[in-house]
Amino acid sequence: MTVVPFKFRKAVNGQILFTDDGGRFFRSSEAFLERYVYEALEDQDLAFLEVNGFSYTDEQDLAYAGFAYAFASRLYLPRQLDYIILVPTLRCNLACSYCQVSRVNEATPGFDWTDETLVSVLHFLSGLQTRTIKVEFQGGEPLLRLDLLLAVRDFCNATFEVCEFVVCTNLQVVSPEAWAFLALPDVSVSTSLDGSKEAHLNQRTSTVSATNRFFENLMHATSHLGEGKVSALPTIDPRHAPSPRSVIEMYASFNMRSIYIRPVNFQGFARKRFDALATTKAWIRYYSEFLDAAIVHNWEAVDHVEEYYFVHCLRRVLRAGHDGHVDLRNPNILGSGYLVIDHDGRVYPTDEARMVTRVGQMDLSVGHIASGIDQSKVDALNEEASNNFHPDCVHCVYQPFCGVDLIDDLSRYGRIDLPKHQTDFCQRHMAIFDKVFELLYSEDPRVQKSLAMWAGSQSIDPLLVKAHA
Amino acid sequence: MINLRVAVEAPPILEPLVVRLLAHEPTIRTDNDAVLLFEEDDRLEYDLQGFSLVVHAPSSNNIDGDVLLIVPGQPSAHRLIRASSKHNTLLVTERCDQLCVMCSQPPKSYHTDLFDQFATAALLAPEKAMIGISGGEPLLYKSRLLEMLGRVVEARPDLTFHILTNGQHLSAADVPAIAELGPERILWGVPIYAVDAAVHDSIVGKSGAFAKLTEGLTVLMRAGASVELRTVVLRQNWDQLPTLADFISSRLSFSSVWAIMQLEPIGYGRMNWRKSFQDTSEDFSNVARAIDISMARGQSVSLYNFPLCSVPHEYQRHAPSTISDWKRKYLDFCDGCSSRQACGGFFEWYKHGEGFARLGGT
Repeated sequence: MTVVPFKFRKAVNGQILFTDDGGRFFRSSEAFLERYVYEALEDQDLAFLEVNGFSYTDEQDLAYAGFAYAFASRLYLPRQLDYIILVPTLRCNLACSYCQVSRVNEATPGFDWTDETLVSVLHFLSGLQTRTIKVEFQGGEPLLRLDLLLAVRDFCNATFEVCEFVVCTNLQVVSPEAWAFLALPDVSVSTSLDGSKEAHLNQRTSTVSATNRFFENLMHATSHLGEGKVSALPTIDPRHAPSPRSVIEMYASFNMRSIYIRPVNFQGFARKRFDALATTKAWIRYYSEFLDAAIVHNWEAVDHVEEYYFVHCLRRVLRAGHDGHVDLRNPNILGSGYLVIDHDGRVYPTDEARMVTRVGQMDLSVGHIASGIDQSKVDALNEEASNNFHPDCVHCVYQPFCGVDLIDDLSRYGRIDLPKHQTDFCQRHMAIFDKVFELLYSEDPRVQKSLAMWAGSQSIDPLLVKAHA
Repeated sequence: MINLRVAVEAPPILEPLVVRLLAHEPTIRTDNDAVLLFEEDDRLEYDLQGFSLVVHAPSSNNIDGDVLLIVPGQPSAHRLIRASSKHNTLLVTERCDQLCVMCSQPPKSYHTDLFDQFATAALLAPEKAMIGISGGEPLLYKSRLLEMLGRVVEARPDLTFHILTNGQHLSAADVPAIAELGPERILWGVPIYAVDAAVHDSIVGKSGAFAKLTEGLTVLMRAGASVELRTVVLRQNWDQLPTLADFISSRLSFSSVWAIMQLEPIGYGRMNWRKSFQDTSEDFSNVARAIDISMARGQSVSLYNFPLCSVPHEYQRHAPSTISDWKRKYLDFCDGCSSRQACGGFFEWYKHGEGFARLGGT
């Protein structure tokens, strides 16, 4: 009988977490680890491993095939291009302190699509193989160019069978025509709500009147656009963070149950204002507190909430093929499933690549909408897209659940060969997965209630969180 | 109940004959097409290659487009394919090498090879039909079956098949042939009752069956086949449902869906009803655990043959209507039920007195 290879890591209570390459896991003791390492497994160990599919007799048997299948299904398969992020203008009517997208003032000329750019974009869309499309309008403030949004939507509806549009807007100034657009059945809204009125004012709107205008518009959007059509993200400065409880209550009051808290993203102009590296630790602490607050909230309140990214990571732990988030995939193949087209027609593999380029750090564009994609550049990026054989990841207990974010490494450090444990990406994800397992193995009924909900189930069954003496 | 046989007056034939009944002359007429000449009350007369074929069918039975199997000397014909139904199954053999406690179609020892006729029937099926293949154990005649499938799959790219098999007769050598049929064309329905081999083997009445089953499932996995795992809930495997869920979602996660099924009270299922029926209206707990484990792991799971009102509210979305139209009934307490459209009801042969105790009470 052959035992599959394990990776392992000490958990908070002295127990040790074991995972295999297929992402199947259990907890056991230090004594078991010694028996495993020194090849002194006892009968009861071998029985446990066999019953749970961690050993096989020969490579033709089901245990081996199941293990191989579990490994293979953890890998992200690039799919056809069916998701486009469009930046019709870089102009914006807000100047947020952390602005991630690098923006220009509302009146600055020369930062909108030209007529030729629109033609090129539509031509590009018409060449796609897909029959369904998702278009995300980013900015700047895309509602400043409602005419372009309308033109793209009309074209897509005439070209594809199923279309979905997301407008990433600050909801600061919304004309009657813009409200009509946002109310269309295939259009949804993604906005920013920085957790508390105070934080929102400090970080985004600057004045009380602008803040009030935003909250009025948000109220109108959540009450008139229909169930599930409005989502929002809070950008949190961990050094001046609103209390998790207040963020949760604020979101719940707008009937928004999925909260995707994000730290100020230190690139673009934000890089000049904040000390990024020092805040990673503060962020990790805040994130953990936020989850604990959500668990308490869900135990008491009827309106349950989730933290979007934690749910994503939890589900990646429990199951394979959960690849719906572009920031956490393995391999994280760029330039295939989605692309970003900037205000000047340049094409980027991700939105962050656009920002990195914009601040002049390095050119991560992969072509121009008029002249096409530079595949050699995309291929160069994709050579390092996998964590399976990366020397820092290969022994990591969280490798099957984790991913790679080359653009993030490039933007922070200007290189991709920093030891992983020194990167923000690795530190944040180690912390998130530590938290996932801490909560999965918790016996607190309040924790179990939230975890089950977040896992998309009614309970966290003991068979999901195995333990072996 | 819908009749699966119709009375016929056939021309003199020596071999079993496959005939498609058509109300109107088709654009392209095959040798197997019979076109309606006269209709009088329940008597329909067709032209079959210049011979007269008479079918006696009440007008409530919509038989236009149906494909019949007429056997020499038999006064009634099998409606192999009912054009108006989504539930068409070809019973390719009645022999089987298992003797399952819940078998709805107890095996017989003799076998008549009708694969050529079945292939002809499938080729005459309406566009985009899904054709069931069942038995007995279809894979006892593996080469004939694969040959028939290969032929039909190639000639009719619009058809799909759902094959019910015990998975005992597949070997590594079959991987290429199965892969070639295409995962999108064939759904293999394979029963698995417990992870404890002794429990599984005793339910299917064959020692060594579980070991063979895991071999067969490995072959299907390696061939990239689409598989529907099927587990009938019984008193015999009730305690095993959670571990089975764990097993399936960790080692058989390639399967498209895991069907957890209620017992059909016919055949051995009726004979063994008292010792096998697990009343899930009274205790749903182990089914709930099985679903919870599957959901957390992302394994698609479906409840077959569960009346909706027997399923706790939070699990009802897993219970589609699955009882075939021709053997489905509703009970008096279903009158006026707002869920009736979405509910598959009960088997025609279900007796409520010995069934779901919690249902229909006041």
